[in-house]
Amino acid sequence: MFRAILYQQWKWTRIMVGLATVAGFAVPIFSVRYATRNMEHGQAAAFLDGVQTWGVVYPALAGAVGVLIAIGVWTADHRGRHVYALTLPLPRWKYVLLRFAAGSVLVAGPIAGVTLGSVIAAASISLPAGLHAYPFALAVRFALATLVAFTMFFAVSSGTARTASIILGGLAALVVIQVLLAATGLETNILMPVLNAILTVPGPFAIFSGRWMLVDV
Amino acid sequence: MNEYAVEIGHLTYRVKKAFTLDDLSLRVPTGSIYGFLGPNGSGKTTTIRLILGLLRPASGSITVLGNAVPARAPAALARTGYVPEAPHLDPTLTVAEAIWFHSQFYATWDAAWAARLLDDFELDRQRLFGRLSKGQKGKLMMLLALAQRPELLVLDEPTDGLDPVVRRDMLSALLEYVSQRRATVFISSHLIHELERICDWVGVMDNGRLVADVEMERFKTGMKRLKVSHGPTHTEGLPFRVLTRSPTNGNGTEMWLVRDWAPEMAAAVAAAGGELQQVIDLDLEEGFVELLRSFRVPRTREAADV
Repeated sequence: MFRAILYQQWKWTRIMVGLATVAGFAVPIFSVRYATRNMEHGQAAAFLDGVQTWGVVYPALAGAVGVLIAIGVWTADHRGRHVYALTLPLPRWKYVLLRFAAGSVLVAGPIAGVTLGSVIAAASISLPAGLHAYPFALAVRFALATLVAFTMFFAVSSGTARTASIILGGLAALVVIQVLLAATGLETNILMPVLNAILTVPGPFAIFSGRWMLVDV
Repeated sequence: MNEYAVEIGHLTYRVKKAFTLDDLSLRVPTGSIYGFLGPNGSGKTTTIRLILGLLRPASGSITVLGNAVPARAPAALARTGYVPEAPHLDPTLTVAEAIWFHSQFYATWDAAWAARLLDDFELDRQRLFGRLSKGQKGKLMMLLALAQRPELLVLDEPTDGLDPVVRRDMLSALLEYVSQRRATVFISSHLIHELERICDWVGVMDNGRLVADVEMERFKTGMKRLKVSHGPTHTEGLPFRVLTRSPTNGNGTEMWLVRDWAPEMAAAVAAAGGELQQVIDLDLEEGFVELLRSFRVPRTREAADV
């Protein structure tokens, strides 16, 4: 059963998984090459600035991979209005678990890409004094962020279009209310508390915030 | 083995205020081919989806092959083949992949028979499901349902919109399987003459109600039009059911539409004071149409006693 589900999901997501794996492999290598070119006279600060410039790409890639695979694993069922899936002879929780497990396997491609790229990038440069490379820490963080994004959007995508509409509608309503408040001159900010709750510890997306550094002090 | 493959008791299902199945009770004898008739929107597909556990009833009970549904739907579905009204397979899978995918979920999968049906149905293994014609999709769905060797086949208008050759191929495969396995078939269709040939039991739905649930032969032979002179005012005591009665001219002659008729009941009309002038046969389609019509006439008529 698992093989069948995995194969089906692979067919839906293979292009995206392939591109993300290549991107994940390339980003660390490009980042250290860019940082090396940026460095003048072996200055560590300039090198770090160069690495940090690329740091934003990792969470963006992790989020994109998680979201797109989460959508991809349910696309076939959504298209068939879940009728075929619901007539298969297995409990619904088990079916969802199989889809989740298969999606998690597909996420492994880009994670492997980032891991391999980071290790090669770290091995290919001589770092200025006082700096250290953290290829595995970066890869683990990328893996966790990807899985968080995948899990969250897997849950949203597994529901009906109505469920997704309610969630997205709620977010849109917050933005509209904030715009209206700003337009009326009120200084109340309702978006920041929400963003803080999501993006700072212990928020679910806290792992995406902060610095993503392949090389640091 | 259970006496009934499917048992529905006092089932109620509502979709907001738009559609209702109200107090539906139905039993499908094990080993029968049960034709499920009804006009569009009468509740056939909804009933089928309830039987398969896709929908949850508001009240009532459903038992499929001895399993309460939806609580034990997976156990029932493991022994049930389903051909939906519209195929819902993944359009990116080839025919061979769709068969392999489906086979992974059924312990009773018969790969040899699936291969034979694939050849019989002349399906291209490498063709994407999304690029198959309607007839080819129907054949593939039938193949999937049959090759899992189910005890119960639930077919929701499986041949609707298909050409006669495809219909014949699909029904031949179905009947071959049923004759081998003594499986139960629950089939809904608009093609009344098709059901007339293969079914031994018939249920008729109208507006969320089951208005007939009888053996096919009894339905066919028991639905008649009677031309009666000087008919009695009340017909409650007659051994058959009068669905409608309408005057044919001004001399007291009426045309009755009746159910559960048998030739020996002619004397009962005379005993009630009437004179039976003619018994007119109805084929299944006429009987079906007249039956539905009788349920839609204003209830002021005496036929409301059905």
